[in-house]
Amino acid sequence: MPVYRLAAEGNFQFEYLDHTADIQIHAWGRSLEEAFASAGLGMYNYMTPLSDVAVDPACTRTFDVEGHDEQSLLYNFLDELLFVFGTEMLVCREITVVKLDRMLWRIHAIGKGEHFERGRHSSGTEIKAITYSAMQITEKENDAEVFVIVDI
Amino acid sequence: MADKKRRFHEEKKFITRSGPVQYEIAQGFVPNMRVPGRCYVNSDLEGLLFDELKAYSTAGGQGGFLPAVKQVANVAALPGIVGRSIALPDMHSGYGFAIGNVAAFDMSDPEAVVSPGGVGFDINCGVRLIRTNLTEADVAEKKEQLAQALFDHIPVGVGSQGIIATNTKDLDTILEMGMDYSVREGYSWAEDKEHCEEYGRMLSADPSKVSKRAKQRGLPQMGTLGGGNHYAEIQVIDKVFDDVAARKMGIDQEGQVCIMLHSGSRGLGHQVATDALTAMDRAMSRDGIKVNDRQLACTRINSKEGQDYLAGMACAANFAWVNRSSMTFLVRQAFQKIFKQQADDLDMHVVYDVSHNIAKVEEHMVNGVPKQLLVHRKGSTRAFPPHHPLIPVDYQLIGQPVLIGGTMGTHSYVLTGTERGMAETFGSTCHGAGRAASRNSSRRTLSYEEVLNNLKTKGISIRVASPKLVMEEAPESYKDVCAVVETCHEAGISKKTVRLKPIAVIKG
Repeated sequence: MPVYRLAAEGNFQFEYLDHTADIQIHAWGRSLEEAFASAGLGMYNYMTPLSDVAVDPACTRTFDVEGHDEQSLLYNFLDELLFVFGTEMLVCREITVVKLDRMLWRIHAIGKGEHFERGRHSSGTEIKAITYSAMQITEKENDAEVFVIVDI
Repeated sequence: MADKKRRFHEEKKFITRSGPVQYEIAQGFVPNMRVPGRCYVNSDLEGLLFDELKAYSTAGGQGGFLPAVKQVANVAALPGIVGRSIALPDMHSGYGFAIGNVAAFDMSDPEAVVSPGGVGFDINCGVRLIRTNLTEADVAEKKEQLAQALFDHIPVGVGSQGIIATNTKDLDTILEMGMDYSVREGYSWAEDKEHCEEYGRMLSADPSKVSKRAKQRGLPQMGTLGGGNHYAEIQVIDKVFDDVAARKMGIDQEGQVCIMLHSGSRGLGHQVATDALTAMDRAMSRDGIKVNDRQLACTRINSKEGQDYLAGMACAANFAWVNRSSMTFLVRQAFQKIFKQQADDLDMHVVYDVSHNIAKVEEHMVNGVPKQLLVHRKGSTRAFPPHHPLIPVDYQLIGQPVLIGGTMGTHSYVLTGTERGMAETFGSTCHGAGRAASRNSSRRTLSYEEVLNNLKTKGISIRVASPKLVMEEAPESYKDVCAVVETCHEAGISKKTVRLKPIAVIKG
C-alpha cells in the first residue's frame, strides 16, 4: 500500500490530507466506482463519525447524477450527497456506485444509512461546499484514487 | 500555471518591501498580471507568507495547492481589475482568490468581471456586535448559566435546524427584503437595521435568481450558527484605545459585557456560490475569458451569468442578515431569561454588523477620477472613513465601525475606517486572525484536554457541539489576531478603538 494511504480512517478507503483552511479528502478503491463511493463516505465521516451510524433499511436511497466530464461528475455526485444531507438529514454509511457511465457521464448509486439526529450522533465539522480546487482523479488497473478539497 | 517553475530565490525577487508593513508583488510574478499586487504584513506575519511560497517552489507533492501570494497575483491578472490586488495581513490560501484578498473591477469596462471565488462560498459571512449595560462582575456568578442558555437557544453545528419557523413563502420574502423582514416579524428592533452595512438589505436581490436547490438547503437553517469558525461569544471590553469613538458606539467602559456573533448565509449561500461557479465555467469558454487558475471562474459583470450571480448573491446576503438578526433575537431572549430583565433595559443594542465575504458596487477614486467599481472582499471588511455617505448617521464623525472576530480564546477588536484605507485599499481592512495551521495538523498535534484546559485557565466557559472542532479551531491554529490588527493600524488602513476578551464561547 502506498505510504500516503496509511492514514486511512478505520477500515475505510479514505484519509484526510493537510490544507490550510479546508480539508482535502483522498479516497481510493479497486475501481473508479469504488473511489467515488469512498470519497462520499469520507465526506460524511467528516460531518459525523460513521462508526456511530447504523443502517436503517427504510432510509436506503438511490442517487442519480450527471456531469459533463470526469471531474464535474465527481463534483456533482458529492454535491448531491451534501444536498441530501442538508435537506433530508440522511447520512450514508455504505455507498455503492452501481453504474458509472463514461459516455454520458452519469452515475447511479445506492446509499444506505440513517437520519442524522443530534444527540444520538456525534457532531463532526460542517462542510459548506465541494470545490474543484486541486481536484485529481487517477485510474490504473485495479486501482483508482481521487483528491477533492471540501470547503469548511 | 503550466509555466516552468521558478526556484524560491527567483520567486522572491518579484516581492519587494515597500514600507514598514507592506510588500509589492511585481508584474510578471505570474503571467498576464494587469496590475501589481500588495500584501500588508508585519515582521511577525511575513514568515508565514514566505514559508508557503517556499514550500510551493521546492516541493511539488501530490494534491498540492497554490500559496496565497500566487493567488493574489492571479487575481491581478483578471480582466478589468484596477489599482492593485490587495492582500491583508490575515491572508491565507483560499479557493481561487486568497482569503484576505480585495480586488476592484471597473464597472465601465465592458471586459470587467465578477467572480464568485472573490466572494467565497459563505456569502455575507460576517460579524455582529451587541452591547449590554452589564459588567463582568454582574455576569461572573452566572457565566456558566449564560453560556448554557446561549448554547440551548442558538442551534449550532452539523445538522442543526432553525427553531424560527420559516416556510417557502417567508423564504422568498427574506431573500428579497433582508432585515426589513426581521423588523416586520418582530425579530429585530427597528434601530438594529441602522447599524448594519446596507441597512441589512441589498436592494439588488432577486429571489427568482436563486435555485430551488439553494432555497431547499436554506429553509431548515434559518437562525442557525453553523460550524467551522463560526461562533457566538460573550466578551468583555478589556482595553479602550479611542475614547471618542468608543463612546459613540456605547462601548467605552472597561469590563462592559458584549456579545459577538459570527455567522453567514448557511447552506443557501453555499449553494448560490456552487450554482454560479458551475454556470460560469460554461460562460467563460463561451466568452473566451482566460484566467491563470480554473478556480477563478468569472464572467463579465454585464453578462447574464454575471447579473444573475449578483442578484442571487444579494439574496444570500439578505439571508445572512436575517440569520444574524434571528440569532440576535435568541441572544436577547437568553439574557432576558437569565437576568429577568427586558433586553432594552439591558441596553442590548446592535453596535454594528459587518460583512466580510461580499462584492459591492461602490464609488472610489482611481487615478484622481471617481469611478464605479465592483469591489470584491473575501475575508476582508469594509472600513469606510468618517463622513462617508454610506455609513450610519451615528458614526459619521468617527468612521465605520469594523468588527474583527478573534479565535476561540483570543481577543477581538473594534476598529474604525480611515481616509488612508479609502485611498489605498478601496476602504477595506482585515477580517480576523486567518488560519496558520491546517485543520488536519491541528487535530494531530493538539490534544482536546490541553486546549480546554488552556481556555479554562483563561477563565473562558465553552460549549462546543463537536469535540474535534476544539482542536481545529484552537488559537494555536491561527495567526495572532493582535499582530494582524496591529499591522492594519500601523499601515493606517484602520484604527484601533476597543479590544475585547472572551469569557464564554459557543461553537458548532
